[in-house]
Amino acid sequence: MARTRKTQDEREKLFREATVHLDHLYRVAFHLAKEPDDAQDLVQETYLRAMSAYEQFTPGTNLKAWLTRILYNFFFDHYRDRKKWISVEDGYVGEKEALDYWEMVPTGNPGPEGHTLTSEMNAKIADALRKLPEDFRGPVVLVDMGDFSYAEAAEVLSCPVGTIRSRISRGRKLLQKYLKGYVGAKEETK
Amino acid sequence: MNCDEARELITALIDNELSGPERSLIEGHLKECSRCLRVYELERALKKEIHSVGASMSAPAELKRKIIANHGLLPNDSQSSDGWIRIVLPFRPLLRPAFGLALLVIVLLPAIYLLKPQHTRPISVAALEIQQKIMDGELSLRTAKNRNELRDWQIQAVNDEFMPMEYDLSSIRLQPAGGLVQDIDGRKMLVTVYSGNGPSITCFTFLGTEQDAPEDATVFLDQKRNIKFYTFSRNEYNAVLHREGNVLCLLVSDMPAEKLLALARGKAEQA
Repeated sequence: MARTRKTQDEREKLFREATVHLDHLYRVAFHLAKEPDDAQDLVQETYLRAMSAYEQFTPGTNLKAWLTRILYNFFFDHYRDRKKWISVEDGYVGEKEALDYWEMVPTGNPGPEGHTLTSEMNAKIADALRKLPEDFRGPVVLVDMGDFSYAEAAEVLSCPVGTIRSRISRGRKLLQKYLKGYVGAKEETK
Repeated sequence: MNCDEARELITALIDNELSGPERSLIEGHLKECSRCLRVYELERALKKEIHSVGASMSAPAELKRKIIANHGLLPNDSQSSDGWIRIVLPFRPLLRPAFGLALLVIVLLPAIYLLKPQHTRPISVAALEIQQKIMDGELSLRTAKNRNELRDWQIQAVNDEFMPMEYDLSSIRLQPAGGLVQDIDGRKMLVTVYSGNGPSITCFTFLGTEQDAPEDATVFLDQKRNIKFYTFSRNEYNAVLHREGNVLCLLVSDMPAEKLLALARGKAEQA
């Protein structure tokens, strides 16, 4: 009984600490999943998985990275499933060629940004990130939004640190291409 | 060092990931190369902007509520280890008005529902549970090489009694992705999922009457064609039901209800 209570306390403590990272996990999920509903599902599933495997977390290590890794692992499994699920119809327009659905819906629907994008620049950057190939998007989101070091990002994405550096460099180069005329415009006028 | 070689080092310098010789090397290059200095400035500005996009974005309140409710815990409570709080801990949700109210709703609503005489769950509402299971991956879709193969399989599964209603949703880039045949309370239901690069739509076709619409559905009457469309929602899903003869068609999606209704009406018009 005492052991059960201790376990419950530990689990509760971890959950409290994990909720601090909710906004971070949502940002990562949002830019991974591209759809806000998927992002919410990803985050919910991350918490469920983390709490059911809380014994695997070593106190004192990086909880944010641990949660992010769970999110990524789930996303990649889920994504693979979904790829199988939709690749049925001959002539189906693949994701790379498909236009963003919301751009085609001629209604006043605000689209996927349920959250507030506070400026045009924010919206532009969010769109550019959405266009970025997944291999580059992950490292950029983790390092630039999540304040991860290269080593932490490498651990989450299970790849060498050098790969993270290279992907961030190439990812930012692509983003600059997508955002030509937006980012750095202030410096241009100086 | 040439400018191509400098590119990755510029990135690492911006991210404060360089030390020792590499740092000196790139700093030296930036002093001499105005082109790379410009690259450095632009990339640094980009990083700052991306960071600010992240900082301006927070998880929706609804998600926070769901996660906290899922665990029955509150994240900001004090971490007291007093004996009495340990005893109270399992019942703590009851002490919170919001959780208390939620619990009341959870307990009372099913009780009221069950006590209501001669009221069973409409098949159209059961369809939304199927939708949830499909989305959760609990039900796997049968896939086919093409639309006809899937349709033929579904028709065969109901002994040619009826066929799935079909939609041409190519204008919103949705295509049939797979299907199912489900049995609900002894009634067969043909399920076709249309997917694309946006919210998917599931079409449920089954035999029945308009009595199969839930009581809380909003009814839209298309006077010209004398067709009633029943719209209702459960959780995050919107649904539109209409009848063609003895065949009912239920469209379910998380897209806005008015859009779903427009699609259902468009189909009925073609018919």
